[in-house]
This record gives sequence, structure tokens and C-alpha cells, in this order.
Amino acid sequence: MYKQGLRHHVIPLIILSSALIKWCIGLGSYSGRGTAPMFGDYEAQRHWMELTIHLPTNKWYTYDLQYWGLDYPPLTAYVSWLCGIMGSWIDSSWLALDASRGIETQGSKNFMRSTVLLWDALTYTPAVLYFVKIWLRNRSPKTQHVATMVLLLQPALLLVDFGHFQYNSVMLGFTLLAMSFFAAGRDLWGAVFFVLSLGFKQMALYYAPAIGSYLIAKCLSLGPHNGPKLFIRLGLVTTASFAVIFLPFLPPLSPFPAILQPIHRIFPFQRGLFEDKVANFWCASNVVLKWRIWMQQDTLIKLSALFTVAGFLPGIGGMIYSGYKLRATYPAPVLPLLPYALLTSSMSFFLFSFQVHEKTILVPLLPLTLLLSGAASSSFTFQLGALVNNVALFSMWPLLQRDGLALQYIAAMLLWNRLIGYNPFKLRQKSLMEYFSVTILSLCTMLHVLEIMVPPSPRLPDIYPVLNVLLSTPVFGITWLWSIKRSIEVSWGLGVLGLHTKPQEAIQSEAGSIISVEDDRSLVGGNSSGVGLVHSASRSLSLRTRSLGYGAEKRPSLRSGSFSGET
Amino acid sequence: MNRVHKLSTASPARRTTFSEEPVRSEPAVVEGKDDKKSSARWLQNIDVYSWIKDVTPFEWDILLASTCFKLLLFPAYRSTDFEVHRNWLAITHSLPISQWYHDTTSEWTLDYPPFFAYFEKLLSIPAHFIDPKIVELTNLNYDAWSVVVYQRMTVIITELVLATALQRFIRGAADPPMQRIISASLFLHPGFLIVDHIHFQYNGFMFGILLWSLLMARNGNKLASGFFFAVLLNFKHIYMYLAPAYFVYLLRAFCLSPSGELLPARFLSLANAVILVFTASLGPFLLMGQLPQLLSRLFPFTRGLNHAYWAPNFWALVTATDRVLLKVAHVFSIQSLHVNVSGVASTSRGLVGDTVFAVIPNIKPIHTFIITIAFQLIFLTKLWRTPTYKSFLAALTLCGYTSYMFGWHVHEKAILLVLVPLSLLSAENNAYFRTFTIASISGVYSLFPLLFTAAETPVKIGYSLVWAVLTIQPLSKRVYEFPMSLPWVILDSLERLYLAGFVVLQAFVTLFPLLTRSQAASKAGSAFEFLPLMLTSVYCAVGLVWAFIRLSVIYLRQT
Repeated sequence: MYKQGLRHHVIPLIILSSALIKWCIGLGSYSGRGTAPMFGDYEAQRHWMELTIHLPTNKWYTYDLQYWGLDYPPLTAYVSWLCGIMGSWIDSSWLALDASRGIETQGSKNFMRSTVLLWDALTYTPAVLYFVKIWLRNRSPKTQHVATMVLLLQPALLLVDFGHFQYNSVMLGFTLLAMSFFAAGRDLWGAVFFVLSLGFKQMALYYAPAIGSYLIAKCLSLGPHNGPKLFIRLGLVTTASFAVIFLPFLPPLSPFPAILQPIHRIFPFQRGLFEDKVANFWCASNVVLKWRIWMQQDTLIKLSALFTVAGFLPGIGGMIYSGYKLRATYPAPVLPLLPYALLTSSMSFFLFSFQVHEKTILVPLLPLTLLLSGAASSSFTFQLGALVNNVALFSMWPLLQRDGLALQYIAAMLLWNRLIGYNPFKLRQKSLMEYFSVTILSLCTMLHVLEIMVPPSPRLPDIYPVLNVLLSTPVFGITWLWSIKRSIEVSWGLGVLGLHTKPQEAIQSEAGSIISVEDDRSLVGGNSSGVGLVHSASRSLSLRTRSLGYGAEKRPSLRSGSFSGET
Repeated sequence: MNRVHKLSTASPARRTTFSEEPVRSEPAVVEGKDDKKSSARWLQNIDVYSWIKDVTPFEWDILLASTCFKLLLFPAYRSTDFEVHRNWLAITHSLPISQWYHDTTSEWTLDYPPFFAYFEKLLSIPAHFIDPKIVELTNLNYDAWSVVVYQRMTVIITELVLATALQRFIRGAADPPMQRIISASLFLHPGFLIVDHIHFQYNGFMFGILLWSLLMARNGNKLASGFFFAVLLNFKHIYMYLAPAYFVYLLRAFCLSPSGELLPARFLSLANAVILVFTASLGPFLLMGQLPQLLSRLFPFTRGLNHAYWAPNFWALVTATDRVLLKVAHVFSIQSLHVNVSGVASTSRGLVGDTVFAVIPNIKPIHTFIITIAFQLIFLTKLWRTPTYKSFLAALTLCGYTSYMFGWHVHEKAILLVLVPLSLLSAENNAYFRTFTIASISGVYSLFPLLFTAAETPVKIGYSLVWAVLTIQPLSKRVYEFPMSLPWVILDSLERLYLAGFVVLQAFVTLFPLLTRSQAASKAGSAFEFLPLMLTSVYCAVGLVWAFIRLSVIYLRQT
């Protein structure tokens, strides 16, 4: 591509192609299609557009709760309202109050699909571009382009948002923007965007401990004068942002109890420990340990909270400690810890918290894919990231199958793995991790084949979803442990833990080669320099980019080159 | 495969003149009693494992990525052609061969030549195992997910014929990197995506056979080339548009020596090969005395000059001129102009049926036939004088192009007959490249109205855009020459302006229905509906006619 005068077209082409693929996934079915009377998430989102444009704000969180009552924070409601206005301008029958329930016309489907694409294009896509620009700014254009592609075509996200039907990319996009603003040193903007993310979907709360601890660490590292100043500013900006989002529900505009309506709806503790089958600790252990019989709901809530906090504590503890140890150095020295902390925190929420859905795996998947996007294909990070992405997709299989998205599942998965050049089945010298990946992925494949060949027995109707959970949960658990391990290693690399390293130098080199997102084998050895690894990363990257047609080839006889050939 | 083949025939052929081309290996192909035997020979040469090993990572990328994308299009809009092909599966599966061309259970009767019927018969066997309802004759308009997946899958799999031909084109090309761009661009052609993978047909498969034939011609194996073309003709008779070029090329370059003497051995082997193919195809129907019935199915001469949506050819421009003249006549109330009353009502709405002109004298099939033949003769004379492979490609393209331009009741899908061989010439030089660019963009755009549904609109536009950038940019990097004199600069700018006009056209086509929504609901709706189509047709016709003139001049002036 680079030799064919396409250099300046790469990013637009990636964006256009990814939009095309997203739209084509949307040609297929969606959740709850043709399943009256309740339908599914698609109908929920459409119903929210319908009720927000027809009802005053004080009814939004109380109107006919039995039929998909609004249970997302107000920003979702505002977005629904905007979409609703546009939609009813085109065709008001799509969103007529009550009368439009369960509408499944081609026109309304096209409209709904286009709104997801629109919001994705307005939030997630620019967020990815900005992330690559900031976090991977010292990397080669090839790496940046690959990373963009990896993130824009992440199959799990594509299938849930454009197949199943949700707007997760908006929430993830805001968080991603927040991360990039933090990396750019604009902490206040970062805080605003994170609040937007929270205001859009409460699942962003999974990130909150990491983001919070990052900001505290940043304040600590700024020293006694600047630290508190930033802290106060952050506090003010965050409160103000929340206030703006919840404005219609706050006292001057409505009586005090109004604010409780959305809060009640957003945090549904009255629901069960988990829904359906989800690949987390509770559901997996439920096979042997019958939690819900042994304990009261209250106890379970407390227990899950305890586990969750214990789960993310290492991440945020490490972060704050690093911030304290590295005080009075600039730029934000704890930044490399942020993706790992986000992963630790969100994964522990996914594994241990209350009322988790299988789709929520998208939340921990984001930081992991970010790490993957900048990693070399031979690295552990890449191997794990790619494996978890595939397993996450696999863990959503029962859901996607129910939605009639089997074909899209196969296509999106194959496409992404091919694009990133991930194929653990390839014959070559393998690392332990690759053997592990091959085992897991073979088991997943076998389970798929079994499911086609052998129908589940009447005694065990849920056998396949349960096996799915039992297979996926350990992988997620390992990812969680790995993220903690990596946090410690990176802290070490930053000079927090090592006794003989000089923090200042470490920071310099780390800041120079921004950032964290590499695979730091050298860090494992206690060597804090990031230079060697940038080398190794770029060397092996050229291998990985082979499949993308970037030229550099391992086998000179079978040149692949770009779409457009080669000299 | 056929590496041995190539060594024995192609490489000496490059060194020597036509007369010295070795014929030795060629009888191998026709030696057998029928084409099955010869294909058995062929199969021996095909070592699947070494073939797969020969596929480069780049080719895998293209194949896998495009296949994944095509999978996503399974739920997309499909035209009645989908039901047509399902019905043919049912006919060939549940009826004896004697009934195939007689059955009228469905309105979509079998109207492709016998090889295609055999092909459907072959496809109907697995279909029966997957879902017996697919091949039930009376199960009209069956559209369960099983039949959708099965039929769409057969398109993807049979398209591998195209993929392998294009892959072979890269091997042994004069400029492999260039050929790689062309091959990839052909495999990913939006024409195939729109017509095959959304609208539903098997063009990828059949153009695969055409490309195998052209590949054989390039490799110097003209007998095999003729054989493949004969096979292709028996799959779909629309390829007759290209037959004159094949006839002249094979006669001049294969059957005659450079000095003009007939080479009986070659002539007989070619004749035998062609006769064998036709016997295998038509033989059973000949024996059953059904040939007239079969031919009446293949050539229904009951259609009008233009298709419902005017294919953007010469006649589209003539028809549009007629409309304009009619308006002029109305406005200035010119009495002297003879206005055909029945023509006033006709065509303005683009309904199926005969086109009757209001002002311009009417066109009869014989007129279109004479014009087509006349133009083709010019190009064929040139081909007769320079019977080289490149000249053959250009003449072939022009033959198809002439038929498209002036033929009777041309369908817009026929533009692929022009675009596919033209692609192979696109990297020759700047002149060919420019012609290719204009023809491809207007040709692909002219296929857009095939998909009129809203959900597929972003797909066709987005995909074509990506394809255009990925094809045209690297080609232009290699062959583009800056125009050196003022007239050329002006021409170059005009062409660029024309291409940029497609953006405006698309904007108009998209916005027009929205803007006229209120009027359309009340009155004269259908006239409004037809305006974007008419504009599309006329605008594309301008580009295609210009590309035709360009290509003709380039070819005829070439030495």
C-alpha cells in the first residue's frame, strides 16, 4: 500500500471499510426479532426513542416499566431523544407512542441501524483515531494503521452493537477519549469524557476505580502544591459534568425525589446475581456451589461487592502507590499503568460483581484490545489479547445464536483474526501460551461442532451454555491475574519497586517511547529501559502486518505485498 | 498445474513466430472421445495440494477477506433471479431431461443453454440433502434461510473458478506486480459483488471460464482457449457478443499460417473440439428433437429496444434526445416536426415494452444488428491484421462493447462483458488506463439501480468507492502520464470533471425522493420516480459512449 501512493488513503480506507462491514453485519437479524410480546434489546432501544420524544422528562424513568422501562443513565435518554426526533421526522409511524411497539418494518430497521453507525462514527471512531495518535504517537505509521484496524473491527463489539443491537461503542468511545485526554495531559477533559461515559451507560463504572485511582495518583505525583489544586479542579469539573447530565432531574427543575427515579432504575439490585449464563465467577462456580440457595440476596450482594473490591484493589493500590513514590515528576509517570488498571478493575467487576450480562465482557475487552493493538505479534500481550478476544466472542455465542447471527459471528471472527494475522494453529515453534491458546480454541471449536452434531439431552437442556461458561471463565480469570502481574511489572519498570533503578531515567525513557502498550520483556528482567523493546516490537510487527499487505515479508519467495502489488 | 503445459507450449511460442508454435501437447486436450475424458486429463494435472501451496499470503488475504464480507451479504436483498435459479434447481432435480425446456410451472422458465442446466442439476443434488424443499417444483418463492445460505454459498464456491484463473494470470505474467493488482481488482470487482452476491447470479463462475480461456490464449494454448470458450457459450449464450473476436482470432492465429495457408490439422482439431462441446451440450436435446423448443427459450425476440431501466448505451442517449426533442417541440409548438403520438406516452415512464420514439424514426432489431456488425467488422479487420494476444483482448473488449452499445434490448448487467476484458488491458499504458477508469466507474455506477433498496445503498456505494481507490490509485501511480499539450490538458480536465460529476449525481439520486416526497404522494409520482433513473442512465451513457470512442481510436491507431 505504501508503495502504491495509497499512504494518505489508508486511514480513510480503513474507516470506510469498517463502516461498510458494520453496516453489512447490520443487514442481518437483531435481538428479539419476531419474538412478541417482549422482543429484545433492539426493541428496548427503539422504545426509549419512542418514549423520550413523546413524554416529559419526569415520566422517562417511570413510564410502563414492565415494557422495557428506561434503565440507562440520562445521556442514553438524550441520545435516544435526538435519534427519535430524526426518526419521526423521516417517518413518524416508526416511533408512535405505544402504537409502534414491536415494529419491524424494513424502513425502521434501516433507521435504527443507521443511528448506531452514526453514533459509532461520532464517538468510537474518532476516539480510536485519537487514541492511536496519542498513545502510539512514536510508533511507525504501519503500527498505527494496524492498531486502528484492530480496534475498529473488534468482532465482539461489532456483533453486539451492529448485530445484536446496542450502543456500547458510545460508552467505550467516551472512555477511550478520556484515556487519550489523560495521556495528552488534559486531565480535566479526560474527567469530563469519563463522566459522559458513565452518563451514557452505568457499565462504565467498571472502569471507575482505575480512572479514579489514576487521577489520585496523578494528584499525588504532582506534589503538595499542584496536586491538591488539580484534585479540587477535577472534583469541580466532575461534579459539574454530572450535574449537567442529571440536570432535568435535579431540584430547581424538579422536586428532590426525582433524582431517585433514574438511580433506582440504573442500579437494579432487586434482580438476581446473574442473568442467563455469563462466563463469570458466580455463574461458573454455580455448577458446584449453589450460591442462590445457600445465601440471601443481601448477603450475596455484600459478598459480590467484597470480591469485586478485592479484585480491583491490587490494580488501584499499585497505581496510587506508584503515584506516591513517583511524586514530583512529569509527565504523568503512572500513565503506563492505566490500561492495566482499567483491565484489572473491569475484569474483576465482570468476574465478581452483581447482575453481570454476557455482553459486559466488552468492557474489559476494550483495555485488553488497546494493549493488543500496539503489541508485537510474538508477544505474550498479543497472544493473550487475541485469544481473549476470540474467547469473549465465543462466550457470547449462545446470545448471538439466539439472535440469528451465527453467520455474522463466523465472518466477523475470521475477518478480524486474518487482519491481525492471528493463527495459533499454524505449524511452527510454539510458546507455552500458544499451546494454551490452541487448546482453548480447539475446545471451543469442538463445542461448536458437538452442538451441531448432538442435540442436548432433555435432562440437561443448558449443557452447551454451561460448558461454554466453564470454558470461558478460566480464560477471563487468567486475564485478570495477568493484568495484576503486568501492573506490578510495569510499576517495577517505572522504578517504583526496584531498589537500584533510578526512577528519573526510567521515566525519561518510558515517556520517550510512550507508552506502556508494548510488550515489556525487558521490564520483566528488572531493566527499566523501554528502548530495547521498541526494537523487538517493531521487528516482529512487520511479520504481523504481512497479512495486511504492508510489504515486509518473511518469505521472500512468496512476496505478498499490498493489495496493489510490489516492486 | 499445467506448468509442464506452459513450458512445452508457451515459452517456445514466445521466441518463435506463429507457424512454429508446437502443436504437440495440444491434441492431449482433445484426444479424448468427449470432453469428459479430456477433463479427466486436466484433472490429472491438477494437484490440489501443490496448488494450495502455490497460493501466496496476499492471495489468501484477498480470498478470505472477500469471502467473509460476502458471507455478511447473505441476508441482503436478492432479486427475482434468486427464485429463478431456485426454480431451475427444482426443474433439473425433479423432472426428466426431456421436460427441462418445456416446464412452465413457474414463470421463470429455464432459458440458459444446457451446460447451465447440467450445472444446476449438479447443484441440486447437495441441495436435496440440505433441504428437500429447495428442489420441490411447486414450492414457488421458497425463501427459507436454508435455501438462501445454500444458493449464496454456491455462488461463492463456484467463484473459485474465477479466483484460480486470476491467480494463474499472475504466474507467468510479463509484469506480475501489475497483474496482481489487476487480478485482485477483478476478483473484488463491484460488478460481481452487486450482480452475483446481492442481486444473485453466477457471473463470477462464468467469467471465470472466460478468463481461463483468455489465460490459455495468453499462454499460447489457443486450442484450449477455443475449447473453454465453446464451453462458456453453452453455459450462457450472452457470451456470443464476444464470439466474433474469438472466431477471427482463432482462425487467423491458430488455423492459418502467417502467410495465410490453412493448417488442416489445427483446423480439424479446433473444429472437433468445438463440435464435441456442442454435442455434449445440445446432443441430448437434438436426439429428443427439442432443439427448436430449446432455441425458442434461449432467444425470445419479443422484447423492446430498451430494458425497463435504459442500459446506458447509445440508445439511451438516442431515447433521451427523443424526449428532449419532444419537450422542445411542445414548448415551441413546431408544427413541421412529425410527432408520433404513441411515442409520447411511451418510455417516459420506463415501463417494460417496446420503445416508441416520438420524434426520431423508430428503430427495428435489424437496424441494431446491422450497426453492431458494421462496427465489429472494423475491429475484426484490425484483429485479422494483427492477431496477437493483446490485440485479441482489445478486439474482444470492443466486440462486447459494440454489442452493448448498439444491441437490441441490452441489459445493464452486460457491461461486465466489457469491463472484465478491459481490466486486463488497463495497465498497458495511460490511454488504456484512462479508458478503463472512465468505463469502470460509469459501468459500475450504471449497475447501482439494480439494487434499489435502502439497506443495500450504502453497501454498493461504499464498496465501489473502496474498490475504486484500491484499484485506480496504484494503477495510476504506475502508468499515469501528465498530458503534454493543451488539447490533452483540456480533455484530461473534462474527464476528471465528468468523474467528479458522479458525486453530484449520487447526491441528487439520494436526495431527490426525499425532496419530492410530498408531491410524489399526491400526483405524477411515477414520473418523479423515473427521473433519477433516467439521469443515471444518460450520465453513465455519456461516459460509456466516450470510453467506447476512446477505446476504438486507441485500438485502431495502435501499430
